[in-house]
Amino acid sequence: MEIRIALAGNPNSGKTTVFNGLTGSNQYVGNWPGVTVEKKEGRLKGSKDIIIQDLPGIYSLSPYTLEEVVARNYLINEKPDAILNIVDASNLERNLYLTTQLMELGLPVVVALNMIDVVRKTGDVIDIRKLKEHLGCEVVETSAVKGEGIKEAADLAAKLAKEKKAARPGNKFSDTVEHAISQIEDLIRDLVSPDQLRWFAIKAFERDKDMLGQLNLSSEVLEKIEEVIAGCENELDDDSESIITNERYSCINRIMKSCVKKNRKPGDLTTSDKIDLIVTNRWLALPIFAAVMFIVYFVSITTVGSWVTDWTNDVLFGEIIPPAVENFLINIGCSDWLVSLIVDGIVAGVGAVLGFVPQMLVLFFFLAFLEYCGYMARIAFIMDRIFRKFGLSGKSFIPLLIGSGCGVPGVMASRTIENDRDRRMTIMTTTFIPCSAKLPIIALISGALFGGAWWVAPSAYFVGIAAIISSGIILKKTRLFSGDPAPFVMELPAYRWPSPSNVLRSMWERGWSFIKKASTIILLSTIAVWFASNFGISDGKFGMVEDLSDGFLARIGNGLAWLFTPLGWGSWQATVATLTGLVAKENIVGTLGILYGIAEVSEDGAEIWSAVASSFTPLAAYSFLVFNLLCAPCFAAVGAIRREMSNTRWTLLALGYQTTLAYVVSLCIYQLGSLFSGGAFGAGTVVSIVLVVTFLYLLFRPADIKRSLKADPIVQ
Amino acid sequence: MMPLSMAKNGEVNYIKRITGKDQIRQHLADLGFVVGECVTVVSNLGGNMIIDVKGTRIALDKNMLNRIIV
Repeated sequence: MEIRIALAGNPNSGKTTVFNGLTGSNQYVGNWPGVTVEKKEGRLKGSKDIIIQDLPGIYSLSPYTLEEVVARNYLINEKPDAILNIVDASNLERNLYLTTQLMELGLPVVVALNMIDVVRKTGDVIDIRKLKEHLGCEVVETSAVKGEGIKEAADLAAKLAKEKKAARPGNKFSDTVEHAISQIEDLIRDLVSPDQLRWFAIKAFERDKDMLGQLNLSSEVLEKIEEVIAGCENELDDDSESIITNERYSCINRIMKSCVKKNRKPGDLTTSDKIDLIVTNRWLALPIFAAVMFIVYFVSITTVGSWVTDWTNDVLFGEIIPPAVENFLINIGCSDWLVSLIVDGIVAGVGAVLGFVPQMLVLFFFLAFLEYCGYMARIAFIMDRIFRKFGLSGKSFIPLLIGSGCGVPGVMASRTIENDRDRRMTIMTTTFIPCSAKLPIIALISGALFGGAWWVAPSAYFVGIAAIISSGIILKKTRLFSGDPAPFVMELPAYRWPSPSNVLRSMWERGWSFIKKASTIILLSTIAVWFASNFGISDGKFGMVEDLSDGFLARIGNGLAWLFTPLGWGSWQATVATLTGLVAKENIVGTLGILYGIAEVSEDGAEIWSAVASSFTPLAAYSFLVFNLLCAPCFAAVGAIRREMSNTRWTLLALGYQTTLAYVVSLCIYQLGSLFSGGAFGAGTVVSIVLVVTFLYLLFRPADIKRSLKADPIVQ
Repeated sequence: MMPLSMAKNGEVNYIKRITGKDQIRQHLADLGFVVGECVTVVSNLGGNMIIDVKGTRIALDKNMLNRIIV
């Protein structure tokens, strides 16, 4: 028989680290609340029938955010065989609040006092024996980071699950409340299993609609329950939900008093607080943030990253690999078309993409570092005040930052945002930030047409941020999104030094998935692109074509190129590249690599770049860049958007909005840019001026207050 | 009695009342903001604050701070 053990606990209590330790898997860990947004499964190392399930972090079983709903529904409806409650021992008091609720579910519970090493360091002492007595369940000291105690905790949970020994809550509420609860228990006794009786009775007392709905009570019983609640509320002069909350905290207070000796007095500053005094200081917060971001992107894209990338592109994929492969293939007597497929197709296409791996690794390294040390959560706090002005909450900033690595986890990270409107808006705008797959495009355009000018890469990020901010302002003024941004409430984890192995592992994980992508989906695409571009009908016969512009791909491209002529890059090559970019954004560079017969993407390969440079003017190239940065993301990200929106209309709306915005912005850049650089005044200019005026109107028009009041009253 | 938003850095205060809608009040309670609890302002960034409650650090925006009366 399979035994399922669920890991439950507060956000950022180390559940995923425990999960990785127990299952030997490599799930993503970070030092900010909300890293795990859906449940994950794995088998306990060294056992066949024990399944470990990692749940998103929750503060309580009265669900507030979407991820809390996921966890609660799982615990109640799919009942795991045991709960391993991961408790951050350095924050025992708040963490036990959830524990008191988990104890009521009628399932076996083992409490893992995690981060016990941190507690020992601060000099606090926790009396485990007494804690066991008070809680009424098993307690194990663990340190997931060091791998201490977690196996024992899991084995204990498995043992209890086999014995089906449900936890017996040792904490009792005050007599008045206990009396009311036992009255409710009598009323619903026949409807639920004995193990879950107390849970449902308490939830009924709290008037929890979801849970009452599951019970299907007759109106007669409901009335009686209401009577009991009202009586108790009158006696204690508070609403029932607050009564239970207060009862739980006073229980925990008793436990804390008898089990824990604390070193720190309230109001004392920890090291973490002292760092916060500087990092979130009124004057220093933004300059520090700007400096951190500048260092991250400047170092990874312009300096260290590009030194290595230049070498891989110029030397490795320019001078070493293609000639070597070509010679080898000719020597073993391959036919010409196969040599062409491999050298001009695969090596050119995949090589153009792989060349960017070093840049990406450096970026991933910095992002992992920021996540582990705890600064990521502060960024949300710092940006909240600014984002609020644009109608977004600071929590929207985390998806954007993650999105600069990859849009898929970025979109998924939006799940921590409680407000539906804010979440949808964040999902729609997350992919505006250039993800790592778009870096090659930026590098290509800046290298080929702007001589590697320093401003091109930062400007790409600036365009992304500007698109997000103006979208925020414009969308907030429409009926779909009107309303105040959700209140900002977020736990900030203590700063800690990231362990090098964690940072390197996370960097490698993401880098590796990029390489895997290059060797699968991008490899296939480049082969398809090579075939489609090299085969066609010339002189009435089907076969390989001498000139790529006779190939099938050229025909498709030519058929659609008119769409992009107003944007300045109506060549079939650019059109095709944009289309293949929908499969994966790296394809854009790969495809251009094949179509222009280049095996390298470099800054100084002037003779090879003449082909690209001659078909783009710098202005057209910039417009091409902007369009591809802002338009609908790759299929993987579209899938993520679809999953998070869980609604086809919203998904289409998001994609339509992104592509329209991309088109409009590129059009304006090209048309107005041409005008200012001495071009003729034509129909395109008029259209783009009208668009700019419309855009400014949408940006600055007053929000319709009557409308926003009428807007859906959900979640506030 | 004053809203928590008016407290100074490092000041230790006790929560007297929490106003506002049920759902958010409950979420605040889940995080440790309950009547009688002691709270300390760790940092103030233009109205948004980091608050020390029950040994954890919670960031709150100004609107939320105004609801917590100390």
